[in-house]
Amino acid sequence: MTQTKAGIRIEDLHLSFGDTKVLEGIDMVIEPGEFFAFLGPSGSGKSTLLRAIAGFGPTPRGRILIGDRDIANLPPWKRNVGMVFQSYALWPHMSVRRNVAFGLEERRLPAREIGPKVERALEIVGLLHLADRMPAQLSGGQQQRVALARTIAIEPQVLLLDEPLSNLDAALRVQMRRELLALQRKLGLTTIFVTHDQEEANTTSDRMAVLDKGVIQQIGTPQHLYDQPANAFVAGFLGTANILKGALQGAEFVTAGGQHLPVAAMVKGANCIVLRPQNIHISMSDGTIAGRVAHREFLGSQIRYLVDTADGKIIVDTLHSSGRPPYDEGAPVSLAIDSQNAPLLVA
Amino acid sequence: MPNTSQTASSGFTLFPRLSGAAVAGILIAIFLMAFLILPVAQVIYVAFLEARTGSFTLQNFQDFFSTTLFRESFVNSFYVSLMSVVVATVIALPLAYITTRFNFGGAAVIQALGVIPLIMPPFVGAVAMSLLFGRNGSINLLLNQYLGFRIPFMEGLNGVILVQSIHYFPFILINLSASLRNIDRSMEEAAQNLGSYGMRMFRRIVFPLAMPGYLAGAALVFIKVFDDLGTPLLLNVNNMLAPQAYLRITGVGINDPMGYVISFILVAFSVFSLWVSFLFMRGKDYATVQKGGGGLSRRDLKPREKWLAWGVILLILAMVLSPHIGLLLLAFGTIWSFSPLPDGFTVQHFGTIFTQSSQYVWNTLVYAGSAAVVDVVLGTAIAYIVIRTGLPGRKWLDYMATAALAVPGVVLGIGYLRMFHGIQLPFGLGQMSSFWGIIIVALAVRRLPYALRACMAALQQVALSLEEAAESLGASRSSTIRRIVVPLMTGGILAGFVTSFATAAVELSATIMLVGRSSDAPLAYGIYLYMQSPAGRGPGAALGILAVVIVAVGTYLSQRIIERERARQTMTGDQH
Amino acid sequence: MNRISAFSAFALMMTSAAAFADTVTVVTSFPRDLTDPFKAAFEAAHPGTTLEVVSRNTNAAVSHLQETRSANTIDLMWASAPDAFEVLKEEELLAKVDVKFEGIPDVIGGYPVHDPDGTYFGFAASGYGIMYNTRYVQANDLPIAREWEDLKRAEYNGHVAMSSPSRSGTTHLTVETVLQGEGWDQGWATWKWISGNMNTVTERSFGVPDAVNSGATGFGIVIDFFGLASKASGFPVELVYPSVTAIVPANIGIIANAPNPEGAKQFVEFLLSPDGQKVLLDPAIMRLPVDPKIYASAPDGFPNPFSEEFAPGAIEFDVDKSGVRYNLVNSLFDVLVTYRLDDLRGAVAAVQKAEAAHADTGNKEAAALIAEARALIEAMPITEAEAQDPAFTQVFTISRAEPGTEVVGRQAEIEQAWDSFAVENYRKAKELADQATAMK
Repeated sequence: MTQTKAGIRIEDLHLSFGDTKVLEGIDMVIEPGEFFAFLGPSGSGKSTLLRAIAGFGPTPRGRILIGDRDIANLPPWKRNVGMVFQSYALWPHMSVRRNVAFGLEERRLPAREIGPKVERALEIVGLLHLADRMPAQLSGGQQQRVALARTIAIEPQVLLLDEPLSNLDAALRVQMRRELLALQRKLGLTTIFVTHDQEEANTTSDRMAVLDKGVIQQIGTPQHLYDQPANAFVAGFLGTANILKGALQGAEFVTAGGQHLPVAAMVKGANCIVLRPQNIHISMSDGTIAGRVAHREFLGSQIRYLVDTADGKIIVDTLHSSGRPPYDEGAPVSLAIDSQNAPLLVA
Repeated sequence: MPNTSQTASSGFTLFPRLSGAAVAGILIAIFLMAFLILPVAQVIYVAFLEARTGSFTLQNFQDFFSTTLFRESFVNSFYVSLMSVVVATVIALPLAYITTRFNFGGAAVIQALGVIPLIMPPFVGAVAMSLLFGRNGSINLLLNQYLGFRIPFMEGLNGVILVQSIHYFPFILINLSASLRNIDRSMEEAAQNLGSYGMRMFRRIVFPLAMPGYLAGAALVFIKVFDDLGTPLLLNVNNMLAPQAYLRITGVGINDPMGYVISFILVAFSVFSLWVSFLFMRGKDYATVQKGGGGLSRRDLKPREKWLAWGVILLILAMVLSPHIGLLLLAFGTIWSFSPLPDGFTVQHFGTIFTQSSQYVWNTLVYAGSAAVVDVVLGTAIAYIVIRTGLPGRKWLDYMATAALAVPGVVLGIGYLRMFHGIQLPFGLGQMSSFWGIIIVALAVRRLPYALRACMAALQQVALSLEEAAESLGASRSSTIRRIVVPLMTGGILAGFVTSFATAAVELSATIMLVGRSSDAPLAYGIYLYMQSPAGRGPGAALGILAVVIVAVGTYLSQRIIERERARQTMTGDQH
Repeated sequence: MNRISAFSAFALMMTSAAAFADTVTVVTSFPRDLTDPFKAAFEAAHPGTTLEVVSRNTNAAVSHLQETRSANTIDLMWASAPDAFEVLKEEELLAKVDVKFEGIPDVIGGYPVHDPDGTYFGFAASGYGIMYNTRYVQANDLPIAREWEDLKRAEYNGHVAMSSPSRSGTTHLTVETVLQGEGWDQGWATWKWISGNMNTVTERSFGVPDAVNSGATGFGIVIDFFGLASKASGFPVELVYPSVTAIVPANIGIIANAPNPEGAKQFVEFLLSPDGQKVLLDPAIMRLPVDPKIYASAPDGFPNPFSEEFAPGAIEFDVDKSGVRYNLVNSLFDVLVTYRLDDLRGAVAAVQKAEAAHADTGNKEAAALIAEARALIEAMPITEAEAQDPAFTQVFTISRAEPGTEVVGRQAEIEQAWDSFAVENYRKAKELADQATAMK
């Protein structure tokens, strides 16, 4: 199955439901063949943005280009973007085969071409043997695959996935996301993946955009976003973060609690520092910050402590190895912070 | 019917629920036996009797099938029913589509107006239609005067098809609209995404998904038309089954068994039609597959489309409301004879009815209201038992209740007299067959199929998981029904209530047999009395207008409640 | 009259009579236009007595009385159709009461006013006439039809309506009157030619005046008070009595085991008294009193069946003959005319067309074909003698069959034979007439 790779460019996109502004000033470029994720909490506008690309929902202001074509004012059926719905939206009155053939039939392809294309698409998702079942006879994972097959069968320029894994159980979710990625790599389809799960976004996407309140907070590779969050929201949404307030004084960040943390980067006007739990070392007395264990969680490979300090509660992760006595709740502890690479933010 | 998987999963753990449902089922079965099956059986068992000796025979059925007239009547009835479904679909489809697909001002009004044809009182509807569309009706007089030709709207079977489809299309409209609203919007979006749109998408995706509702409505129209005798009789068409049955049963001193044979065949054929529609709908319970719900996405119309939509809707409404327009002209007209419009206008007819109408109105509200309440309670219970339990023989409740459609009112009325005459009620209420309460029972039985269809459709759209969620949270079966199922069915139940109420309010054929005294008489009876004399046409029409207005107001209010309820339920669906 | 009104079957009222000691309960098929003035007049004449009127259609009233005879709550049956009273009488549902009245003759227009056995009484007479819409007649430029024979003419094709005799007792009497007046075969021929001009055969007797009033049809064969009352209501209609008409009494009878027999008797006597008879002249009622004295106070132009010039051709009506073939005639009419109206109309129109085409051509061959077609239309499946044979007529009156009579055949079987006969004859007649038309 060959696709013409096309990039997506979105320019100054605004969208509102009546008086409620849902998307504001969206600008982004998605490269051809890229696996791109929209990440954000519910209500952030990520699904609305995806649906706007597909042509659903209120008409937005601004431009959406696929390749060189501005599709913002085209009806959904002329956009040639394939979308997989969160609910899969398989038509219950059609067999799997007819579901998959639908888009091809709508494109008025001759029947002799439709058959092989349908089989090919079903083969790709490994469901050829179930072609004559009705959707109601399939499991959730199978329905997901049929929805995917139905979309890729039309050889869209862009593949849109709206929370495609949210209706699957945990084990299947991991498996499916690997399959999705493999499929995307194989087809080389420019793909946008909407999710609220950072792990899904991290593991699959080449780059991602973090959205909140209808505004893009940051765009970049997962690692870049983790290491260099543009703001407190991104920092907090990607992984766990301790965000301490304070001010930059020379090569040190001085927290409100009076801690002096050496930093490498200089950010003008920075007033927050992002400390990842794994970069803080907890001990009886070897650190610089005194505190008291308020809460302890066992996470398997790690133990997470919530420590009361002069700068408020700080989350600390330590590797768990059997035998070592954990600190009890209420125990006095001392924290050592590796702040050298900690990102600084202007909030 | 989505029973198999659910009953399998019900299993043993649900033993207490089965017993509760069983009790309800048995009570309903007793009710239907006492007030429908036995009374009707009392009348139509004659079909199986040798007319003179009274011994059992099937000779009468053989006679039926060897009689040309009856075979022709059967074909005519079938043809008229089928064509009525077609024409009713042509009327209902655009209305349902436009009002559910687009943000369209006045959609609620259209939905309410769409119910009004059902509340046309008998007698006056056909009189009004003849005055407008008849050979010398307004339209044809004008056509003939200016263009020199006539259109045979009302000639023979055409007239029956026209009047029936205008009268019964709301069944399709109501059910189809409900189904359209329940389609998960992603179903439609997926189709658009894959390149489909417009009528083609409607035909391939939207309409098939709305099929359960459409079929329910179409089956109702088919059976109703097949069994209706009022319209053919008023239009003097007698080569159809129902009028043949009526004519043969009701002659004074005549005891022609063929009338009863035809009655039996009407009932049997209607049950058969229902069975066929059930077969067709089997496995089409799409609610369990569709996850989101929330209805089709509505879009705004462009100005040109808006004009087109209004044009189509106004045209349809003009046709659909023509009996009411005719009725209005009659009610306010002085003399209307061989002219496009009445000679003059007056309010005098309303003055004539003013003094007597309040008793009629009150009786009508009490009878139709109580009957409709009984209907939605029974309808909900039967729907629940049929769809959600594994009670043995549960479908027979459905068949039994639905068979009421096939029972001519006269047969039911005579049956009641045979069954309940001589049974004295306590508290000085007199004989059971003349007690006004029996009118409510008769109305309830006659209108139960309407409410039942609406409740069935509503329950089919409630995903089983929603109930299971409640049960898993510790809600008992009965409180799940009360707190989850019934609220989710509200729209359908109200639609059922409206339909039952509106049609019961103008019902005449069974009630008129049972009205014990004039002070117990409902509106339709009053209209009948007036319309039997030349001077009474105006006042009768005025009373008819009163009936339409009262029921229309009730319908509109219920419609508002349904709309509000729906708006509340779909609110969450819009946030993505 | 009004044996059936299409929709409604009226059943009976069963007011608990004990609760209303001074209530007279009457079940009636008459419209309130008629009952209201009588109720007012009767209650004024007998203070303290209430007349409870239950409106129902005749047929259901009869079946109701049959069904509920064990616990009857009705005092009086008040309706037109004499045959309904005959049924009640034969089933012994009517009480024989010695009602006092004077000045009322035994016979009106050849028809007995009262039941000779004294179980029911005629209180008003009605004749059959031709009602027409003046606007319709003017618009279609039609002459006024004054006699039954006129309605056979080709110019009335599609302009006539009547109700089926099986649905209306008085229509039945009109049909029977013509059969008796013209003889079986000629009488039926007359009805077929008239029916061939009909645009509708209604199932309600009120359907005919309704159709004439609204202009749906030009001429209607109706009972007189419908025409008179319609005219009185302002409709542009007129009524003419043909010289041969059936005069039919409208009746009242006391039900056996009536809860209030005294009150019932009072009401019957009131109806037959001069005071009661005068009420009939009310413009909304317009029925002919059976007391000849009353006509002295009737308005100008009010028809008087006792006068010389009224219906000079009135025949001596043979009640027994009519009675024995009552249901057979109804059934025959329905099978030959009502249910096959389209076929009959087609044949009659074809003959009319052929006759018009050959009015002046003198084509013998065509004339022969037309004559053959006419004979086919007029042909009857049974003779008058057969129609009078109890063994045959009782096929149609199962419920009243004498146990000793041997009955031949079943109604459905016989009707099917008649139906094939009629369909085939009408088809062939049309074919022949079309052939004749095609000839030059």
